[in-house]
Amino acid sequence: MNNIKALIKKDLLNLASYKVSIIILFVGVCLCTLNTNVANLAPIVIITMVGMISLSTFSYDEISKAEKYLLAMPNTKEDMIKAKYILVIGLTVLGGVVAYFLTILLSYVMNKVNQNAAITIDYMSLLYTTIAGIFGIGLVESIQIPSIYKWGAEKGRVQMFILVFIIFLIIGVAAYFITKFGLDIDITSAIDKIKDYAVYILLVITAILYYISYKVAYKIYKKKEY
Amino acid sequence: MENNIEIKNVSKKYDKFELKNISFNVPKGVIVGLIGENGAGKTTTIKSILNIINFKGDIKIFGKDNKKYEKIIKQDIGVVLDDSFLSDYLDAKGIGKVMQSFYKNWNEKKYLEYLQKFNLPSNKMVKDFSSGMKMKLKIAAAISHSPKLLILDEPTSGLDPVVRNEILDIFREYMLEDEERSILMSTHITTDLEHISDYIVFINKGNIVFDMPTMDLLDNYGIAKCDEKNFEKINKDDYIKYRKEKYQYELLINNRGKFKSKYGNVNIDKASIEDIMLLNIKGEK
Repeated sequence: MNNIKALIKKDLLNLASYKVSIIILFVGVCLCTLNTNVANLAPIVIITMVGMISLSTFSYDEISKAEKYLLAMPNTKEDMIKAKYILVIGLTVLGGVVAYFLTILLSYVMNKVNQNAAITIDYMSLLYTTIAGIFGIGLVESIQIPSIYKWGAEKGRVQMFILVFIIFLIIGVAAYFITKFGLDIDITSAIDKIKDYAVYILLVITAILYYISYKVAYKIYKKKEY
Repeated sequence: MENNIEIKNVSKKYDKFELKNISFNVPKGVIVGLIGENGAGKTTTIKSILNIINFKGDIKIFGKDNKKYEKIIKQDIGVVLDDSFLSDYLDAKGIGKVMQSFYKNWNEKKYLEYLQKFNLPSNKMVKDFSSGMKMKLKIAAAISHSPKLLILDEPTSGLDPVVRNEILDIFREYMLEDEERSILMSTHITTDLEHISDYIVFINKGNIVFDMPTMDLLDNYGIAKCDEKNFEKINKDDYIKYRKEKYQYELLINNRGKFKSKYGNVNIDKASIEDIMLLNIKGEK
């Protein structure tokens, strides 16, 4: 466990150079969206940014060829993978929590400063948006991390877009055949039925996605040689 | 003599290269130089020792299997890799903070002393360091947990002679601190090894050509120079390899005294490690 902590520490110290930019961006995004009718969007933007920043730790490692050095120290490949997933998931969730409360805090401050601002926040809706944001970036990360382990940080990004394209292509082809064969699937009523459980379903799907992604990444990384 | 590293029949096959059943030891208290041209198998050997790659054969470090006891063993190893480091985007202070979380015996005070001794700034990012400074930082990071074994992959490549000499001094001091310590150092700058190593292991095309004390090598090996007429009189068993130069033949011999007494009219020079390596690789028989 100490090794995993140390590996996370290394990545956090690498990201420390971002700290001022991150704070400015967080506040900036919130202020921009609060002045519109879509204040709920702030968490999505912030979570996406945080998710992308956490993935940049792979680029830092690639530039320094750090993985070879880290494996020469008392670390196993399992430690390395676990540390990356803990960092990425942790930062994404933390980004969501911070974005949620920051949006509420800034809307409160703006309403106090300017009585005419009248920014109303629906807390539940904001929570749903935050969780949807975590799910969205979780989906991207769970595809991108194994891609990075397979093809490297630079190529991995390109390969990820290809994978996402393939996934959408499969969905599109499936939808085409469903329509062609006249299968009657009422998506609107299906969504209505699961609406009350949507948050839990999204959280469970996100957890499953990360788990599958971890297993795939570990399988790839185990075979990788430096 | 007890060994810090024991390598037995280690093989590794790539598409275009194969490390073939190599075996050698790194005894306690000695510096072993691993020499060979680029692509000869030096780095593959080091990667096998560090269990970074999958390989066939047995490697024991401090008497323990390097795969089974990997984490325990690595607590007592310091590593310097030519092309790889923790991060280019941390400063020396940050490097220390991370390293102390990896090693139980990490000595922060010692690390800061090394930074001072090597004139390394603690608040400058590694990416802004010169090659020599970067190498010194890598060494400081590798020895601040007082490892019993230091594994160095090309620690002096690309450095000027002054910095190289400073770095060799660091290794000498490291060895003087504890007589049970060892260094395994891979390099193609063989002159460095003449000054510092106790043993030389020469790898060529994935095979070990020789594994012997540096003193024996420098004392006994030689380059015999003669014309074609004299060359034809020399028995093939009396030299290792030969090379035909423009005006003369150069023969690599492994017993200067014996050769001199047999062929008195042939000039013999002392052979440097570089001469021995070159003639072994480029020479014919």
